Amino acid sequence: MDLQAYLQPQRVLRLHGQTKAAAMDELMDVLGGDDSPDIDRERLAAAVWHREELMSTGIGQGLAIPHVRLAGLKQAVMAVGLRPEGLGDYEALDGQPVTIVVLIAAPQGQHETYIRLLAKIAEVLKHEDCRQAVLTAETTEQAHQILTEWAE
Amino acid sequence: MIPSAPLAVLDLTHLPILLVIGLAIFFGTIGANLFQRLRIPQVLGYIAIGLLVGRTGFELIGEEALARLAPFNFFALGIIGFMIGGELHRETFRKYGRQFLVILLAEGIAAFVVVTLGVMAMGMLAIELGWWPGGTWQTAGALALVLGAISSATAPAATVDVLWEYKTRGILTTTVFAIVALDDGLALVLYGVASVVAKQLLGATGEGGFAWAMGRAAYELLGAAGLGVAVGVGLNYLVRRGRDRNKSMAFIIGCLLLVVGLASALGMDVILAAMALGVTLTNLAPRRSHPAFEIVESFSTPIYVLFFVFVGARLELGGMAGWMWILAAVYVIGRSGGKMLGAWLGARWTHAAESVRKYLGLCLFSQAGVAVGLAILSSRSFSGDNDFMATLIVTIVTATTFLVQLIGPPSVKLAVQRAGEVGLNVTEADLARTYRVAQAMEAGAPTFAEATPVAQILPVIAHSEATSYPVTNRQGRLVGLITLAELKNSFAGEGLSEWLVAQDVMRPAPDTARSDEVLIDVMDRMKTQGLESVPVVQAANGQKLAGLLELRAVNHRLATEILRRRQIADSPESPSA
Repeated sequence: MDLQAYLQPQRVLRLHGQTKAAAMDELMDVLGGDDSPDIDRERLAAAVWHREELMSTGIGQGLAIPHVRLAGLKQAVMAVGLRPEGLGDYEALDGQPVTIVVLIAAPQGQHETYIRLLAKIAEVLKHEDCRQAVLTAETTEQAHQILTEWAE
Repeated sequence: MIPSAPLAVLDLTHLPILLVIGLAIFFGTIGANLFQRLRIPQVLGYIAIGLLVGRTGFELIGEEALARLAPFNFFALGIIGFMIGGELHRETFRKYGRQFLVILLAEGIAAFVVVTLGVMAMGMLAIELGWWPGGTWQTAGALALVLGAISSATAPAATVDVLWEYKTRGILTTTVFAIVALDDGLALVLYGVASVVAKQLLGATGEGGFAWAMGRAAYELLGAAGLGVAVGVGLNYLVRRGRDRNKSMAFIIGCLLLVVGLASALGMDVILAAMALGVTLTNLAPRRSHPAFEIVESFSTPIYVLFFVFVGARLELGGMAGWMWILAAVYVIGRSGGKMLGAWLGARWTHAAESVRKYLGLCLFSQAGVAVGLAILSSRSFSGDNDFMATLIVTIVTATTFLVQLIGPPSVKLAVQRAGEVGLNVTEADLARTYRVAQAMEAGAPTFAEATPVAQILPVIAHSEATSYPVTNRQGRLVGLITLAELKNSFAGEGLSEWLVAQDVMRPAPDTARSDEVLIDVMDRMKTQGLESVPVVQAANGQKLAGLLELRAVNHRLATEILRRRQIADSPESPSA
């Protein structure tokens, strides 16, 4: 699966906030920014937080994959936030701090792509080596490159 | 000089024949709908419209039109005879033949005896009180015998129409079919005897006397039966080869018209001939001939409407003296009482099912074509010296036809309701038309809260036969649907099912049904959209989930219900017993 189609280099960032809420805001700013006019920032936030209410998307091993489907979206998009120090309040399934947050938004109709994207990200970032490489990359561009190469 | 306008002002009493037909069918159907809404059998609606536009009412359908459209009546009677014939299977006769014959004789003869005695008494009273100028005991006796014989006939049309309207099935229904089909024959024989005796009473020497009258009746009945059987054998041969439904339709209707036309041209009994055709066909090829009956049935409704509207239009209720109304009442009460008594006695003697014993009499009140026909026939043979009596017979039969058409169909309805045979002869589509979605859905179908992890969904689905699963939010509102296809994708990644929840794998429901919708509407909608299932939401709260409607389960449920009803209807004991 070619991640490049869904993840642009400028959508990989270092997270400044120290909480889950702050991290989500930063990632949503990236996805709902000026270069993606088909995403409504408010609806994105509502959907993300509704999903978090159902069950935390911190799936363990420092990895979190918040994911939503939005009506009106043209193509699946994603943003990656890195915080080697960890987000302590994410309430991940294994109770550990979260170091990598991957926010995925997909159109309502592309169910299969959506699930495959989720599966791919989870599969790639389950590798300890990959996580370490991404977190220790010198620039976000490098992190982007490592991720897309692992996914190939 | 201006030439006279080519188009004269529309003369209401001489409407073009096609316009008369159009009006009759159109308004007849409207009348029937109104009556159905009042839960009165539709036949009365047709007749009421007929009364309104006919001789008794506004005379929109004039004498001329009625005379010209008379052949339609034979067509309608032919269809009715044919369809009844199709209900009379060999096994039924083998099983119930003797029973039917005894009941038939009992109800026909009882009506004959009771009406003859009643009319005789009333006639004598009228003479005594000076209401009947020139009446003697002989004229009263002749009148009584002729009316008695006529009273034994039961009209199949109105009776059978009620049975079809209410989709009845069972031993009472079968018995009614057999009796109403056969008692025209009995009426003809009784009339043959009665008219000869009546003529003797009046001192007139009829054409040929008793033997001639019997011979005539035998010709009418046996000839008709022979004709029907002969054409039936031929039709069976050709039905075997027919594949194209349109051609078959023209062909079968053609054969039916041929039998009807020949019978009426040869002076034979039309209903009996058509019935013989139906009986022959259904018994020679029980399964293969099934489409033939479906074709005729699908063709029949407008013909029936026309027939009954004309029955109403022909009735003439003006100009009856007061005592004649009393005589009519005596006739109706005597006839109804006689038929009930006779049917009860006949059923008792033959140990018929309880529902037949109790309710058959109620199904035999209707009177129409044959009775009116015999009345007209007798008015011809008695005119001259006994003009008054001749007119009286026609008047009484007309008036009583009106009266029994008012009480006949509702009592048939009452009888089949009491016997528990209503709605037993239905198809899946019929049921789906009467069911609401709530009656056919799975209220307890597995549903998932949107936060349910996929790992917990899988084992539930493994033990369920459903193909889709509604997803609800905390308020119980429907938010989406999980189908097996979607779920399959969640196996794509290892461990995915651990952290995905129902909300992640559902999709918006393509359509929903309300629990109070008519089932067939929803089923049609599902078929057009190619949906196997739809979630059902509550009627009161349009978003709250009520259950799941699955086509497969619905079809199974409908088929089971139909099987259940058929078993009730076809069990040897009546459903009411």
